[in-house]
Amino acid sequence: MDLFLQRCFDGLFNGAIYASLALALVMLFRATGLLNFALGEIGMVGGYTSLVMLTPAAVAGSGGAFRFPVAGTSLASRLPGHPYPVLVAIAVGVVASALLGVLLQRIVLYRLRNRSDFVKVNATIALLLALAGLVTELWGGASQRYPSVFPDAPTDYVNVFGGRLRYTTLGAWAVQLFLLLLLGILVNRTKTGLAFRAITSNAEAASLMGIPVQRTLAIGWAVSCGIGALAVSLVAASTILRPGMMVTVLILAFAAATIGGLDSPKGAVVGGVIVGLTQSLVPGYTPFPSELAVVPPFLVMTILLMFRPTGLFGTARVVRV
Amino acid sequence: MSRLPQPQNSPARSAAIAAALGAAVLLPVIVNRGLLEDFSRVFVLILAVLGVNLLTSTTGLISLGHGVFVGIGAFSMANLLDENIPVIVALVLATAVAGFAGMIVALPALRVRGPYLALITLGLSVIFPPIGRRLGKFTGSALGRSVNVDGFDPPDFLRLDDHPHIWNYVVCLMVVSVWFLLARNLLNSRIGRAIRASKDHEHAAAAFGVNLAMAKTGTFGISAAMAGTAGALQAIIDPYLNTNDYDWTLSLKLYTSAVIGGLGSLLGAVVGAVIYVGLPWLNEVLGLLDSPSLAFGLGLLIIIIAAPNGVVGLLTRFAKKPARSRRDG
Repeated sequence: MDLFLQRCFDGLFNGAIYASLALALVMLFRATGLLNFALGEIGMVGGYTSLVMLTPAAVAGSGGAFRFPVAGTSLASRLPGHPYPVLVAIAVGVVASALLGVLLQRIVLYRLRNRSDFVKVNATIALLLALAGLVTELWGGASQRYPSVFPDAPTDYVNVFGGRLRYTTLGAWAVQLFLLLLLGILVNRTKTGLAFRAITSNAEAASLMGIPVQRTLAIGWAVSCGIGALAVSLVAASTILRPGMMVTVLILAFAAATIGGLDSPKGAVVGGVIVGLTQSLVPGYTPFPSELAVVPPFLVMTILLMFRPTGLFGTARVVRV
Repeated sequence: MSRLPQPQNSPARSAAIAAALGAAVLLPVIVNRGLLEDFSRVFVLILAVLGVNLLTSTTGLISLGHGVFVGIGAFSMANLLDENIPVIVALVLATAVAGFAGMIVALPALRVRGPYLALITLGLSVIFPPIGRRLGKFTGSALGRSVNVDGFDPPDFLRLDDHPHIWNYVVCLMVVSVWFLLARNLLNSRIGRAIRASKDHEHAAAAFGVNLAMAKTGTFGISAAMAGTAGALQAIIDPYLNTNDYDWTLSLKLYTSAVIGGLGSLLGAVVGAVIYVGLPWLNEVLGLLDSPSLAFGLGLLIIIIAAPNGVVGLLTRFAKKPARSRRDG
């Protein structure tokens, strides 16, 4: 029982990360019908930016917590007050990713607005490869330690019926619920949200009604990519920051979003929990090797799609032929 | 819409193909050993890129996992050669294994629309190296394994015993040519038309009796088989395999090369393979970037925005500008 709870809690931590990324994917998918394969790498740019912001220039490369020099720290150290606390650094990273998202929407996807979905997906695949290359180019391939916002010492946990519910897990879910609340307010209570919903329902009609479609989409990109950077900081704090780490995380977030139905925020969160739990419970109770923990969520997704092609909470789309 | 190799047997085209084949046959006489091996590698890559090209251009499906099928082909080949199976038989079997694996992967894509196949195949290419490391008996775990190519001697009458690289080259050229012919004929057959119809208008094609599921799975299987042959040939040319070489960046680069080269034409696959090899090489010579991924990604972006039909589309548009240059619009 203790072990079962423990595995559930471990799964829930990852589940929070998948849920937040899935939420970011779903949000953009609702508005544009586009699956953003580059979301993880856009987040990585923000993740490394925050690392630059919190790494003291003098300490970088001289051992201790910062094992390898982080490119850009000497430049960033000229900013007043550098190095910043983790929370501020993450905020800077989130803003950086959000700005990058807006930039990419303006430069790339705006140009492709009248092209087919196939072309747009290709563009995000190209961005995935380009940004993965860019991150390696700028910050090298070495793994970097990344501090956690939440207390993450071995003793920082709450004992729940014998299972250790770590503060980081609680923190990750706090972030997740905060995101849900924020997105809920943004989409349901603001004018931008209204415009966003209008575009989601019918982009052409929205444009005819005088809604600034591209500007609203740019905001959507900013929020989505900012969440990406937040997810990167959570992943990096729980493991390590290294180029390419987000590809696995992103495809699991895709799986979560797909299980949830791709166009439902509620589904994204439920999907995230399902993926997180499958990932920790299946290798725990079957002879399934733990380094292949990516596989069970995909099997769940595939099997679910065979019986329910719209996912758990997705709406079936009627396509006119 | 989908512009596939139509039978356009104009004299100029035939002459160009004959010239290219002639040059390919004469190559071993002209160039030195290292360069010839590079040419063999390019031929093999053409096959892999052609597999991706064929899939995407005929069905509109996106595969970000063809590197995996290259890997499956390569490791199947290595293990079959361990059993002292003749090379040609092993080549066919390795191709079949990769094709079969492709069909299994494609099955879920039939149920669902949208870019799910891209997602599933990307997942596949991420998990292939760790799975490979688990199956150490077949793959040599993290250290990799060598391929037993002792049985792959040139036949006596060719007198190539001292020049195994020429024999490698000849075999690669022949196998790739055979695949080219197969692909061409298949696409111009009834099956090919059915596949194309299912891309252009799924429902209309289904109404005319095309089995969409069969068309898609079949095409994916064939394209995976091509990648598998490429992997098997690679295992012969460079007889040392490591699962880590078949990671997601390989799959993404293959896909990117195919799109940059130009979808829907055999020439596009050739250009794509040249780009696959040439881009990192150029990068290294010019000393520009540490990782060629950036170059591939940017290249694809530029092509998507500037030249919808890839480099080949750009060339053909340039070649016959005044005439009906945008008939595919």
